[in-house]
Amino acid sequence: MPKSFLPLVLPLLGGTALAGCQWLIYVYAPTEASMGLIQKIFYLHLPLAWWALVSFFLVFLGSVVYLFRRSPGADRLCAAAAETGVLLSGLALVTGMLWARKSWGVWWTWDPRLTTTLVMWFIYAGYLILRGLNMPPQRKSLVCAVLGVVAFLDVPLVFVSARIWRSIHPAVFGAQGGGLEPEMRLAAMACVIALGFFWAALIGLRKGQLDLRARMDTLWAGNGPSAAGRNRP
Amino acid sequence: MDTVTWLVVANAAVWLGLGAYLIFLALEQRALAARLKQWEAFHPEHQ
Repeated sequence: MPKSFLPLVLPLLGGTALAGCQWLIYVYAPTEASMGLIQKIFYLHLPLAWWALVSFFLVFLGSVVYLFRRSPGADRLCAAAAETGVLLSGLALVTGMLWARKSWGVWWTWDPRLTTTLVMWFIYAGYLILRGLNMPPQRKSLVCAVLGVVAFLDVPLVFVSARIWRSIHPAVFGAQGGGLEPEMRLAAMACVIALGFFWAALIGLRKGQLDLRARMDTLWAGNGPSAAGRNRP
Repeated sequence: MDTVTWLVVANAAVWLGLGAYLIFLALEQRALAARLKQWEAFHPEHQ
């Protein structure tokens, strides 16, 4: 498939798949016995959280590549992935809070899974603030790459926190097969795949924008008129 | 609030969040297009 079709195909696939997922969520998957209908938030919450973790893994990989090769493309991939990761983890926190309020009776509790996730969100929000600072570009990329590697230490901790500490947050796919019915598992995995198409489209789109911005910066710096810096929008 | 309203709020929060990011991307794209247009205005030979 030509690369230029991907920005169109990925969101379309994502949209169609997510529409199909609504049927899986509300018709195919059974209603959970103890929590009832509110458990359906899970089918949004899980994909958001997983793709946020994948985004931060991408930041880690891109940062390692940047540290070894000083590749500006890897740096821009980190920027795109970090933005998407912060967005998705923020939405996972919001949906988690809504679910917690209804099923636990509280908006927030300092549970290991919730706390490590919040810490992760703050770390990567700080990473984005760092990216927005006015610093020499290469120095900023280097500092961000180091932070991108160090920040990733919290990500596996988020994943295993519900397993290694006493947590009220369920480990969905646990060692003994987790607590999901097969229909629920299928619906959850379908939602993960469907959101994955959107995730890939968002990362691709943002990376493309950052590439274009870098190219524009080069053009303005190299060939622009003397007043380019003052005139450019 | 009943459970269905709660579910609607959760769904709305997700789509508002994703929508807000898409609007941010669209504005960014518009700014890039304006910059490109201005550059082309300074360099008609490249058009």
